[in-house]
Formats: sequence, structure tokens, C-alpha cells
Amino acid sequence: MAANLNGANGTADDAFTVKAGLAQMLKGGVIMDVTNAAEARIAEEAGACAVMALERIPSDIRKLGGVARMSNPQMIKDIQAAVTIPVMAKARIGHVVECQILEALGVDYVDESEVLTPADDQFHVQKSDFTIPFVCGCRNLGEALRRIKEGAAMIRTKGEAGTGDVVEAVKHMRTVNAEIARASAALKDGGPLAVSAMARELGCDAALLQRTAELGRLPVVNFAAGGVATPADAALMMHLGCDGVFVGSGIFKDAETPEHAARRARAIVKAVANFKDAGALIEASIEHGEAMKGISNAGLKPEEKMAGRGW
Amino acid sequence: MAPITVGVLALQGGVGEHISLLQKAAAHIVTTQPEILPSDPSKTFNFLEVRTPDALAQCSALIIPGGESTTMAIVARRLGLLDPLRQFVKVEHKPVWGTCAGLVMLAEEASATKQGGQELVGGLDVRVLRNRYGTQIQSFVADLELPFLGGEQEKPFRGVFIRAPVVEEIIAPVSGGTTGVGKNGGVEVLGVYRKKGGKGEGDIVAVKQQNVFGTSFHPELTDDIRIHVWWLKRVLEGVRHGELVVSA
Repeated sequence: MAANLNGANGTADDAFTVKAGLAQMLKGGVIMDVTNAAEARIAEEAGACAVMALERIPSDIRKLGGVARMSNPQMIKDIQAAVTIPVMAKARIGHVVECQILEALGVDYVDESEVLTPADDQFHVQKSDFTIPFVCGCRNLGEALRRIKEGAAMIRTKGEAGTGDVVEAVKHMRTVNAEIARASAALKDGGPLAVSAMARELGCDAALLQRTAELGRLPVVNFAAGGVATPADAALMMHLGCDGVFVGSGIFKDAETPEHAARRARAIVKAVANFKDAGALIEASIEHGEAMKGISNAGLKPEEKMAGRGW
Repeated sequence: MAPITVGVLALQGGVGEHISLLQKAAAHIVTTQPEILPSDPSKTFNFLEVRTPDALAQCSALIIPGGESTTMAIVARRLGLLDPLRQFVKVEHKPVWGTCAGLVMLAEEASATKQGGQELVGGLDVRVLRNRYGTQIQSFVADLELPFLGGEQEKPFRGVFIRAPVVEEIIAPVSGGTTGVGKNGGVEVLGVYRKKGGKGEGDIVAVKQQNVFGTSFHPELTDDIRIHVWWLKRVLEGVRHGELVVSA
């Protein structure tokens, strides 16, 4: 009987089980961008399931221009000391050493992020070399599976960070969903050969695409990110099948007071936990108050978009 | 007889993983031991995601999954679920199992909580230490000997520990009732983790006190259904002995 009771999962790849497992424990939650310990405390008290430490929120990175890099380790340490929920931090695409520094700091997840200025125009970081888990952005299924092949244990949409315009996040999630549906259909109709052909087209690993087609979803947790500004935006992304939501500039940008930011944060947590409950979404939308002003994605020039960074 | 509704608290965290293993465990019981089922096997269990007091009221037993206990406590408070949960666990004495963050929620006391502390459901007369092993980089998988699984313990259980809490101390009863450690109402230690080559008695990672069961680790992050099978059998026993009333 015992043979029936023991599965293969626990022994397949323990290191990856632990990395992907933390992301599974974040599901249904909201991860908030914070730039100091006080903001991290506001996020924790509002019910954030993790915080993302970065020097400036994306809307300010956009406004100030220049090169955006990994945060000062002292700021990250201050945030780690202030909260007990997981602390994530961003490294530049391809910047192996920033990732090593973040790993040595003991952050819980590294975001190899297009919001920062890429450090390598050829390669992303080989994430499987690290003990610390990574989350990466994607615009489509091929990009998601390339990152997972490199070792990412969590995926998020890229969206268009710092705009407060959710349209790109929606587009990226819809694209991923449509391509997964196509892969599942290919597997059903044409078997593994059809999946291989599609993998060549998407530029991704065939075995990972096969697994995705079998599961009917990405093989790791997938959050929404990039332009989520209101409780309704957050609930929309959950409605599209995301496992949870990152909110970057939406909490602290244009907040009149720390209390206003706290109300926004609480409202978005509530909207994600109750995304199917219209009554809860009404309450959350009222509590949220005025959202960040935002920039329409349609008005951005291609060179002003962050989502095009990485491949 | 109506199906036995087993809920999984779905405020945040690894909800789907538990539902999936509960379904596999139920199917296993139906196949291997149909005689212990109370009624038409196809209708025996119904698994429900619990987000409201109404949903909780339908449940005969509940799992509180892994996730962030801070988040769960805040969301439970805002949804008016904390008092119904306490009623469920400590007044109605229905079977409850918490994994990781769920263990934290079911403890009477927790240390290393956020500034200002966090709200708990309680039910286990223990103090848990959150994030016992440190941050994510110290998360690990380890073989555990779990004698309570009895004959099914033919090979070690792969315990997945992620920013895991442990039971730091068994405390004087808060919830009333019997004092001391033991089978008659006190806290039973069901699992201990000793680091390979480590000294000392090891960390308490599985405990049970009457209807309340808690594990530091995540069986739901494996395909190993043994603990889910064991726990569902305890639920069935409660129904059979009339301790549990199944609401229609």
C-alpha cells in the first residue's frame, strides 16, 4: 500500500520545491513596492504577503530617468529588520553580482526586473545557480518558459510599471493564457511533435512547454504586475487567472498622507482576497480613495516602455 | 446522510494544493477502506474553499493552509472570521489542521511576530516561534520519522520547511481543560526534526491536542497523501462516534 501513498514530487528536485513553494505560499496575496522601513510597516499592517524593496517606486524611476540599479543594502537591511513578512528585492537583468549581494543579504526572493536598467544585453542571470529563488517578468508564454528554464521559480506579467495603466498587464496575461490554450490544443491534437513545433516557434524548451500544456497553466506561480493602481485593477488581474498581485507605484504614489497609503494598501489586499465578491469590491473601492494620477500607456514612445527590456 | 464538508480556509496561501491532496486522499480511502465510510462512498466528502462565516458554518472539519500568517490574521479580522474560527476550534471542537502559517494561527501564543503582535485563533496550548530557521535561504526539505502514521510509515516523510515555524514550548493550558502533556487533553508531540548530526532534542514540528493538529511543514507541497489520509480518517472516526455532527 505504501507504494501508492508515496508520490514522486518530494524527491524530484528538493531545491526547486523549496523555491517554488514560497511563491505558492504567497498566492492570493499582494506584494507591495516599498522604499523604506516605514512604508514596509504600512504594507505589513495592511496585510501585504510580502514587500519588494527598491530605491524608488517605478513611477519615480520613470520621472527621474538615469540608470536605475539595485537598492542600497542598508535600506534593504532596515526593511528586513522592520517586518516579519518576506522581503524581496530587485536586481538588474543579467547582473549576477547584484543577485549575489541580495542572496548574501538574505532577502527571500530576487526580482530580476526590467524596471531597473538592464546590465547585460545578451543574457539573463542563470538563476538555477543560486540558492535564493527568483521571480521574472514576461509578456508571453515563450518569455515565461525561457525564464523558468533559467531557474525562475515564480513569474509575473511585465505590464508597464509606473504608469498606473493596467492595459499592458492585461495584454500580457491574456497572451500567456491564449498561448497555453494553444499548447494544450496542440498536445491534444498533434501530440508531443506538435508541442515541439510550437516550442521552436516560441523559442522555449519543449519539455517545459509540454508540461505547461498538460497542466493547462504555467508550471510555477504567476502574479500580475505593471500598472495595477486600484482595487478593481487588482481584482481584474485575479479574474484573468493570476495567482496574486504586485502593486508598485499604486500604494504610495500621490498618496496625500501615510494614512491614505495605508487605506489604499488595505483596500487592494481586500480586493484580491475577495475578487469574486462585488460587495467587497465596492467597499474596497470606497476605502481606496483617489488613485495615483498615472500616465496612459498609449501616450508612451517605444523607448519609454520598460516591458521591452529583456527577451 | 449528507456528505462531510471539509473546508480549506482560503484567505491567502496554498489552498489549491490542499484541496488537490484531500481529493486524492479521499479517493484512496474510498478504494482501499470503503468499510470505514459512513454512507454512499461517492458522496462521502465535499471540499470547500472557506472565505466567509457562512461557508465555515457548512464545514465539519477545516484545514488552515500555509501562507503568511500575518496576512491571514488581518484578512480574517476584516472579514469577521476570527471569532467564528475560534468558535469552530475551541467551542465546537471540530477537527482542524494547520500547516506552517496554519500552525501559527492555531497556537495560543506566537513569538517573532510583527511589531505589535498578531491575532491568533488558538486551540493548541503551545507557543510557536515564527521563521525558526531564518529567511528563505534557510528553507529546506528533510526526511521526518512520523510514528503516528503507523503502518503507513514505511519510508520517511519528506518534510518541506519554508520559512517554517516550530513549537518552541508547550504552555500551561489557556483554553481550559486538562493540564499537562499527554493523551488526555494535553498537547501530544507527534513529530520532531533533528538536523543531521545535530545535537539536542530537536525541534517540535507536529503536534496534536484533542481536535487540533498542526505541522510546521507542508505535506501539500508534495504528492505524499499519507498525512491527509490519516487526518481524514480521524475526521471519519469523529463522525462515526457521533462526536461530529454533519450539517445537512
